[in-house]
Amino acid sequence: MPTISINRDLLFKALGRSYTEEQFDELCFKFGIELDEVTSDKLIILKEQGTERSAGASEEIIYKIDIPANRYDLLCLEGLVQGLQVFLGEKQFPAFKVVPPVTVPQRLIIKPSTASIRPHAVAAVLRNIHFDQNTFSSFIDLQDKLHQNLCRKRSLVAIGTHDLDTVHGPFFYEALPPDSIKFKPLSQSKEFTASQLMDLYSTDSHLRHYLPIIRDSSVYPVIKDSNGVVLSMPPIINGEHSKITLDTKNVFIECTATDLTKASIVLDTLVCMFSRYCGDQFTVEICEVETPEGKINNYPILKNRHEKISVDKINTMVGINEKADEIANLLTRMCLTATVEGTGSISVEIPPTRHDIIHACDVYEDVAIAFGYNNITKTLPKTNTIASQFPLNKLSDQLRDQLAQAGFTEALTFSLCSKEDISEKLRKPLNSVPAVHVSNPKTLEFQVARTTLLSGLLKTIAANRKMPLPMKLFEVSDVVVKDSQRDVGARNCRNLCAVYYNKSPGFELVHGLLDRLMQLLEVPLDQSGSKGYFLKPCEDATFFPGRCAQIIFAGTVVGIVGVLHPDVVTSFDLNLPCSALEFNIEPFL
Amino acid sequence: MATAHGEKVLKYLEENGTASSLKLAELWNEDHQKIVGTVKSLLCLGEVIEADLQSSALWDLTEEGKQVAKDGSHEAQVFNAIPPAGSTQAEIVAKVTEVNSKFTKDMAKVGFSKAMSLGWIVVDKSSGAPKFIKKVTSIQDKVQEHLKELATGKDTLTNELRTEYKKRKLIQEIIIKSYLMKPGPSFSTSVTKQETDLTPEMIASGSWKTKEFKAYNLNALGTPIPRGHLHPLMKVRAEFRQIFLEMGFTEMPTNNFVESSFWNFDALFQPQQHPARDAHDTFFLSDPSTATNIPVDYMERVKKVHSHGGYGSQGYGYDWKIEEAQKNLLRTHTTAVSARMLYALAEGGFKPAKYFSIDRVFRNETLDATHLAEFHQIEGVIADYGLTLGNLIGVLYEFFRKLGIEKLRFKPAYNPYTEPSMEIFSYHPGLKKWVEIGNSGIFRPEMLLPMGLPEDVSVLAWGLSLERPTMIKYGYDNIRDLVGPKVNIQMVADNPLCRLDKHRGSEMKETDDLQDLENRMDSIMTRLRGIETEVKKLKRQGKTTEEKLTLVIEADPKYPPRSIQTLVRLLVARGDARTIVTVHQHSSLASACPTDLMQWPNLTVSDGSRIDNQCNLTWIWKPIGRHPIVKIVNRPNGDIHGEAAIARLLARILESWTDCAMYENFDSSICSQIDDWLDTWEGCIQSGDSKFLMLIRRIQNQLGHPDGRKWLVGPLPGVKSLADIFLSNLLGDKLNTLNCGRKLARFSPVKGI
Repeated sequence: MPTISINRDLLFKALGRSYTEEQFDELCFKFGIELDEVTSDKLIILKEQGTERSAGASEEIIYKIDIPANRYDLLCLEGLVQGLQVFLGEKQFPAFKVVPPVTVPQRLIIKPSTASIRPHAVAAVLRNIHFDQNTFSSFIDLQDKLHQNLCRKRSLVAIGTHDLDTVHGPFFYEALPPDSIKFKPLSQSKEFTASQLMDLYSTDSHLRHYLPIIRDSSVYPVIKDSNGVVLSMPPIINGEHSKITLDTKNVFIECTATDLTKASIVLDTLVCMFSRYCGDQFTVEICEVETPEGKINNYPILKNRHEKISVDKINTMVGINEKADEIANLLTRMCLTATVEGTGSISVEIPPTRHDIIHACDVYEDVAIAFGYNNITKTLPKTNTIASQFPLNKLSDQLRDQLAQAGFTEALTFSLCSKEDISEKLRKPLNSVPAVHVSNPKTLEFQVARTTLLSGLLKTIAANRKMPLPMKLFEVSDVVVKDSQRDVGARNCRNLCAVYYNKSPGFELVHGLLDRLMQLLEVPLDQSGSKGYFLKPCEDATFFPGRCAQIIFAGTVVGIVGVLHPDVVTSFDLNLPCSALEFNIEPFL
Repeated sequence: MATAHGEKVLKYLEENGTASSLKLAELWNEDHQKIVGTVKSLLCLGEVIEADLQSSALWDLTEEGKQVAKDGSHEAQVFNAIPPAGSTQAEIVAKVTEVNSKFTKDMAKVGFSKAMSLGWIVVDKSSGAPKFIKKVTSIQDKVQEHLKELATGKDTLTNELRTEYKKRKLIQEIIIKSYLMKPGPSFSTSVTKQETDLTPEMIASGSWKTKEFKAYNLNALGTPIPRGHLHPLMKVRAEFRQIFLEMGFTEMPTNNFVESSFWNFDALFQPQQHPARDAHDTFFLSDPSTATNIPVDYMERVKKVHSHGGYGSQGYGYDWKIEEAQKNLLRTHTTAVSARMLYALAEGGFKPAKYFSIDRVFRNETLDATHLAEFHQIEGVIADYGLTLGNLIGVLYEFFRKLGIEKLRFKPAYNPYTEPSMEIFSYHPGLKKWVEIGNSGIFRPEMLLPMGLPEDVSVLAWGLSLERPTMIKYGYDNIRDLVGPKVNIQMVADNPLCRLDKHRGSEMKETDDLQDLENRMDSIMTRLRGIETEVKKLKRQGKTTEEKLTLVIEADPKYPPRSIQTLVRLLVARGDARTIVTVHQHSSLASACPTDLMQWPNLTVSDGSRIDNQCNLTWIWKPIGRHPIVKIVNRPNGDIHGEAAIARLLARILESWTDCAMYENFDSSICSQIDDWLDTWEGCIQSGDSKFLMLIRRIQNQLGHPDGRKWLVGPLPGVKSLADIFLSNLLGDKLNTLNCGRKLARFSPVKGI
């Protein structure tokens, strides 16, 4: 969820009134945003860098506000104020216009070479814009917020904004070998080739994150004007030549992308938010984008989409009973212009700022928000169903109760562990263990899913060596093993594991526990092996030679019981004899 | 055990009411220790007698003292050995030792110097070799007389003489511990031993009828019983499970941690570029890395709704890839299972259903005190025709009411697979604010319709984590104390029943500021009373028995307790040199103490001999942090912590020795002012600089008194109260670094003398 920082005084000035913190918090809650933190530059620096650095910093109050991830239209002061004012019924939502210029439109020509790296581009022009320091910062901040969220850290879309009066169209978007791109990038005093830039920015705390998007490609995207001046090398950096300043009058916006839909949304959002500062308010100048196939498309699209909604359906979904015109009023407050059409039907106009609305259900939600979630009458569904437990969970819980009654204490360990926890430490080669491997673990603790509960219990004992002896622990939980029969290639196994840790191994105790559990499960001791259970001597590297047996139930091996090998004991930082029992309970269902 | 001796004591008690063991020993001419043994065995019988342990001190002759009583003082013996014409020292010594074989050269040395200083003898150097001659003709050997008198049990020595004889090792103090007895509540002159417990033999023989049985101590705890335990988190899980079952929800089979991206994300209409699908947030698998057997038709419908829309949706308008959907992962939510269940429900012909699950989910997130890579998700799902958002709100109220939560409110939120979406907040009476407790919503048509569910079916769903309510319930602030192998098994053993609807745990307690204050006062009072008793004991020793007091003060050289150093200096200076201070540094110190901490100016630091001093004070520099500790040796549980408490103790000792007024020797109103200042200071140490500035302001106000006073508490200038000594020293260092007003500059540290 993106968080935006807004100067409180600027916000209240734009809203035309001020609020107490509680009042504003309440308004946010209703509207579906969240006042996350109240701070100031000074406090932020104080917290991060200490008293000395914060000395000269501004003490103006900053509101940090959490915005839902799909509301790109609220990511800047302009959009937030517009949304809140319309919600409060204080302002009407403006209509946005796309107009052709007096002369020929600007044209962006996409060359076929971009296909392999970043095939799409869109563009627009904001004419006669007037920035002041605050709106200029807001314009830059919004681009940054869009880059981080909707643009997925510039991988899907990258925005470039330029002073149109410093360059001459038409513009060419192409992909060139890195060494043939040479220009003076933003905030640098000399020219660099693209390869040099990759080196230069490899240590830049901000830009280095974007380098992998194009680094390994044989060609890099670049936008030039008709004189060969480089405007930008998306998605990394713009040129110094065309950079916008407080004095910029005409802004050329280009968005390059791997996802055309998102590029168009980004362009719409940007121009909707800032066309208010144009000489002709809420009006955007059209640009022509020529595809490699020679097709000409006009941007920005700024389309008002219409959706026809049934009043009954709205009332049913939300659980209210409102008339059509009241619902239209509610929708108007959510920036959706709604008109009642005949009986029981509403036509909703979805503006280009609300790309989050892709289905009628999104409109239902806006009705509910405008109505107030907490004003909806609560009712119980009439759904009448008979409950049942998942049989395996029921059996597990019954056995857990019995284990505790037998004097064992339940541990709760992690399903993920390190490779050595299930192999070396148990004296088994990793390739003999049918374990599921994680491809991107952040630490050793999450390398594999456990194939046994034993290691977790031994780790628990190690962390509790100060407890009086004997220690008797158990866990009934899932382990994961590979299984090619399943669609995902793995399955869970519900295992029961118990360990006894004392000055003597106590094999007879875990053996007795097994007998007791079998008695509870009504499984008889049966050496012939066809119906009941029995123990069959075996050798297992984890256990002490001659002190280990397989548990056979109905002819198949379900588990193992024995005295742990001393090397296993010491590999878990323990020093006393330990016996253990582990078996799969699923066959006993 | 119940000897004739014991009955004799009881009889005496019956006749006389009280008895001292010392007196009985004298009366019956018995060894005192034997009487003490009898008293102790009588005490074991229960409440037959009561006895107070008393210690009294008396002065007795040493071996050397006994010699003096018999043969005369060293000086008298020397005097008597000098012939009328005088003699050399060697000759005199030879003569004395000839008369008295026990007389040593050391004794002779003492004898000569004492005789000289008494003016009994002089040195005559007129005839070359120095000779001793008598200066007086006769002497009175007072030392011998005093010791003879003491030997008979009469103690009339003045303090000076006692000190002198003690120094000469002629007398010594003997402490006698004795008992003062009186009849107890079940007093009787006939003694029968009480039985500890019933035995099989007693039952067999019937002897229990005549026996007396020792009372049980019901204030002690019983023996812990051997038992097994269930894990606290699993107990909370059982409670939630029970609630769902009571509400008619069927448990979903969630025993599949490995899931495909398709079921975990795509089926839920979560686009393939969604941040949650990043490797930063999700554990993907390298083996088995991909899933197969995704239902083909269904997958085509999912692909279409993502890339082109349909079912009334615009879709996301991107190029959906099967490779992305096939990637295996550890499920990030149990909603993946809900999706499988709903798909199966649609395949088998839809019937209304209510499902729930509580099971593990996995997130590749940054770990902290409240986040682990795996946790338990609780999920509830209701699928039926015509369900409304009002229904969801109604069900959530009922669900949380069963957990004992009545106050709810809902905030609009965003979630890729629900629309409308609501975050659930509940009012936390302990934190006095609304806290988020879960998420909820109605599944999107783009998720349900491709599964084949009828168009007018809605599915309500909500989820929360199991760990968070458990942490709140049992008051944990680190999740690792609750789950994982590092959990303390004792915690599992001590954990109470889980009754979520019963507000008893730490979580629901209303905090009351006034109550807090009262509790704080109570704890301060208890501590003070403890110190008071301690000091009263010390006073008694200091004044009546002159028993040695040995104090060990530990302090950190990083935070030298200046006020205590000052008080120690005062103890040395005003306590008639009865205190010897030794300063050490502990081996655990990282670096050597600065010299000014090891050698205190104006203070003789002892070489370590600690024989005759009344108070031995050992000062140890040790890395123990801000709060110094004083240990009173031979007094277990006598540790006193914190600068203010130690200052109080030292002030009381000082007052008991010298009768000066600095703390409790003032009248009580001043005394309580002093306490107030000390408490304020303690508050500062706990809460840092903001409070400290308040303290400075208070001091400034106090010093702003119209009489231009330079002190905080007390009626007179020149009489420094403990508060003045304490605060001026504490502030000394800080004042230099702070910009203090003129007034504060007057408040100069009191430096001992």
